[in-house]
Amino acid sequence: MKLIKSIVRPHKVDDVREALEKLSIAGMTVTDVRGHGRQKGHTAVYRGKEYSVSLLPKVEIEVVVADNVVEDVIEAIMAAARTGEIGDGRVFVLPVEQSYNIRTGARETS
Amino acid sequence: MTGRSDTHAAESKESAAVRLATAREEYVQLARQGRAGRDAASRYAFQMDRVVQTIVHAARDRTSTPFVVCAVGGYGRRALCLHSDVDLLIGFDGAIAGPEEHFVKAVLQPLWDLRLELGQHVREIGDFAEPDLTNPEFLLSLLDLRFLAGDESLYDRIANRAGSQVPAIIEPLLAMVAERHHQFNDTLYQLEPDIKQAPGGLRDIAVTRHLRRMAPDAFTNGRDTDADRVADAEDFFLRIRSILHWLGGRDVNLLTHELQEKVADAMGSAGSHPHSRVEALMGEYFLRARVVTRALASTQKAMHPRPQGALRRIGKQFEITVDGVQFANPERAMQQPSLWLEAFRIALEYQCPVSESSLTLIEQNLNRCSADDFVATEGDRLQLRRLLTPRVGLYDRLSEMHDCGLLNRIFPEFAKIQCRVVRDFYHKYTVDEHSLLAIRGVESLLDPSNASRRRFGSILQELHAPELLTLALLFHDVGKWREADHAQESVRLAQSVLDRLELPDDERATVEFLIREHLQMSQVAFRRDAEDPQVAARFAELVGTEEQLKLLCLMTLADVGAVSPDTLTPWKEELLWRVYVEAYNRLTLGYADHLLEGDHPALSVLIAGRPSDISEAELVSFLEGLPRRYLSTFGLGAVYRHVRLARNIQPDQIHTFLENHDEVWELTLVTLDKPFLFSNVSGVLSYFGMDILRGQAMTTPDGLVLDVFEFSDEEGFLKQNAAASSEISAMLAQVVAGSVDVTSLLKGRERSLLNRRRVRRPPVIHFDNEHSRKFTVLEIIADDAPGLLHRITRVLSGQGCDLHLALIATEGKRAIDVLHVTCAGGKLSDDSQDSIARELETVLEVGD
Repeated sequence: MKLIKSIVRPHKVDDVREALEKLSIAGMTVTDVRGHGRQKGHTAVYRGKEYSVSLLPKVEIEVVVADNVVEDVIEAIMAAARTGEIGDGRVFVLPVEQSYNIRTGARETS
Repeated sequence: MTGRSDTHAAESKESAAVRLATAREEYVQLARQGRAGRDAASRYAFQMDRVVQTIVHAARDRTSTPFVVCAVGGYGRRALCLHSDVDLLIGFDGAIAGPEEHFVKAVLQPLWDLRLELGQHVREIGDFAEPDLTNPEFLLSLLDLRFLAGDESLYDRIANRAGSQVPAIIEPLLAMVAERHHQFNDTLYQLEPDIKQAPGGLRDIAVTRHLRRMAPDAFTNGRDTDADRVADAEDFFLRIRSILHWLGGRDVNLLTHELQEKVADAMGSAGSHPHSRVEALMGEYFLRARVVTRALASTQKAMHPRPQGALRRIGKQFEITVDGVQFANPERAMQQPSLWLEAFRIALEYQCPVSESSLTLIEQNLNRCSADDFVATEGDRLQLRRLLTPRVGLYDRLSEMHDCGLLNRIFPEFAKIQCRVVRDFYHKYTVDEHSLLAIRGVESLLDPSNASRRRFGSILQELHAPELLTLALLFHDVGKWREADHAQESVRLAQSVLDRLELPDDERATVEFLIREHLQMSQVAFRRDAEDPQVAARFAELVGTEEQLKLLCLMTLADVGAVSPDTLTPWKEELLWRVYVEAYNRLTLGYADHLLEGDHPALSVLIAGRPSDISEAELVSFLEGLPRRYLSTFGLGAVYRHVRLARNIQPDQIHTFLENHDEVWELTLVTLDKPFLFSNVSGVLSYFGMDILRGQAMTTPDGLVLDVFEFSDEEGFLKQNAAASSEISAMLAQVVAGSVDVTSLLKGRERSLLNRRRVRRPPVIHFDNEHSRKFTVLEIIADDAPGLLHRITRVLSGQGCDLHLALIATEGKRAIDVLHVTCAGGKLSDDSQDSIARELETVLEVGD
């Protein structure tokens, strides 16, 4: 099992979710986050005053998937979240040691 | 322990089990039929008493120390539901040692075995010497102390000591109420209410009764006439709670959407469909929760009377008493609905409530009048409109108006969403309450809690007519009375409101725009790529003007914030702010590039509607070269007026039109461009003591100048002098003709005013050569001062700049000027910018 954690533009969430649903991946955690990558924000001007916009609003989407679909999922996320501009985000893949269903107590295996 | 007492204990336990099972069976039967209210809870408590007494009797020999077993909390007041906690106090007249511990165990163990949820307190009599303020919950539970078994004289002593501690409990009790209400965002209109804890629920009933018992003197004069209605509410809530306990098989108090249908069926709520039955149930629920909330509020008010010195008379018809605004002559108030609105206006002005008795009077006389009675005269309409201006207390007063039925009477359109339940994943409150909470959100921007909110608060301060925001929020969701496309339906319903209020065309269009488009900004901010230039351009095009942008931005913020306490996150605020800034910059910095052309869709409307004295050719020729946004800024009437003003204008002439809107004057002028023109015109207004609030100045490529200034007449020059208007016009004509020099006129005036100046904040001067294709955009934010605009624009003209467009705004004491300029037909060079900035700094810092 792998935890796939992607940081995407806020307006791309629905596209990513749809892409994941097409792969029959229903369970996911979506969190509003702020941060910056190489993009490092930019400055904006309001009424003649420049202010630095260093932390940009992004959305973090986490899914746990079986090893054999990891590549498909990464590809689907990247295709759905890509605009080609700076600031499209990142995808991280982390190993998952164990997973349990709290209600049933059952240990889940990939 | 002897074998005989073991046998006795076993027999007692068995008989208790049988009694409990019978009591529960009876209770469940009633709960299933929705009839397990106060009587059922009381009977169940009675049976529980027998159960506890039986067990205590069997255990009594375990200790020789005198003891008492009492019911406390909800059980103490016999409001015992099927799975409520059974709260017990076991008290000893001496130290607790081994035998007493055995006794406690012998009482509690069998009760646990009966699967009762116990809340037990074990105390020695000495523990009651001082109130235990570290445990306010326990102190509160003692308010419902009731003898069950044991030593009655010990009970009396504990009851006396607990009674003497009552005054110490009042403040912690009120603090706990405030904290609990805050958890529910201080509103009773929860879509999924907690029957016990939510504002207006069972706990509030208990608190109301406690407070009234603590201060009986405060509840003479008939202040507890609502006791029957409160008892009815309690019965209703207990009936619901019993069903929840029966369905859930445990102490469930949350009336979720899922359970509402089942409860509505059990309660026999009216309706042919499950949804209508749920609506009926919730309508009944809110009605009763409101009774309880009002009872608690009036009780709290009576507990904390204001000093007598606060009483005052307001005019002939009103007085402010400890209860709030009262009618001095109730007989007359019954007959005169305009006095009702006046009462709310006074309450807002003096920041106090409208008294319970006044609300009751209004409620009882509502059917004497219709919606039209509140807007019969221009004065009535103005009063109603002013009432909606965002300020501290607006939400509370509107809620009072809503609770007593007045709001629905004035706006029957709003009644369509009274207690309206719309189920989705996000909304926590009924539609009417959501709308009122959104208005509370705007109100909170007057005293923003953090830097993020402060920036939105500053937008609110800039609004030209902030009451339009309240009006739009009040009606933005009225279309939710039916399922489909609520924004369009809301606009349709709002039409009749706007008809009655007789708003001017442009303001009416603004309110309709806000209601129709109220979801657009959140769509762009949260669901679209707001940084995509096309998305940003379309959004800027949609809002059209800065004023509409500001209104829509605040409306979106308030609307999202009123969904639930957690919906408006700092993350969302940031996204909204960025969309606002992007659109604001597009509207203010780039719009002079887009000029009106013959194929603009609004042109045909203008041509078709033109009065007979204006020909199509005259109209088209006038519009040519004006910025495209001109048409979204001005209504038809204003455009035709401008055409007439421009008619036959000659060099060195000026045509003016001055009119008064409420406290604000508006001067429109048309002339032909010449150096120092704008500076001279604004200088004339300053010379007459006018404080320029807003303004727009535009110049066509052919040199036609159209300026519109809005200003306040702080010194009352226009009001006090009949000839003032023509005096200003004459002075403007002389200045434009070049026969009078404004700068020398202003010298004396500015000197005297500048000498009185406060500490000033440094001005912001910013040049932008990017946003506009043709112009350099100069933004200046500076402390407002007499003649400021005159001095700024004189610097520009002195440096050889041409002013093509000016947007003038004020936010409190700050002036915000956006000027589109060129020099020798092109954008300003860096050197030229530096030189202008230096001169402006000098002028803004010290005057000249």
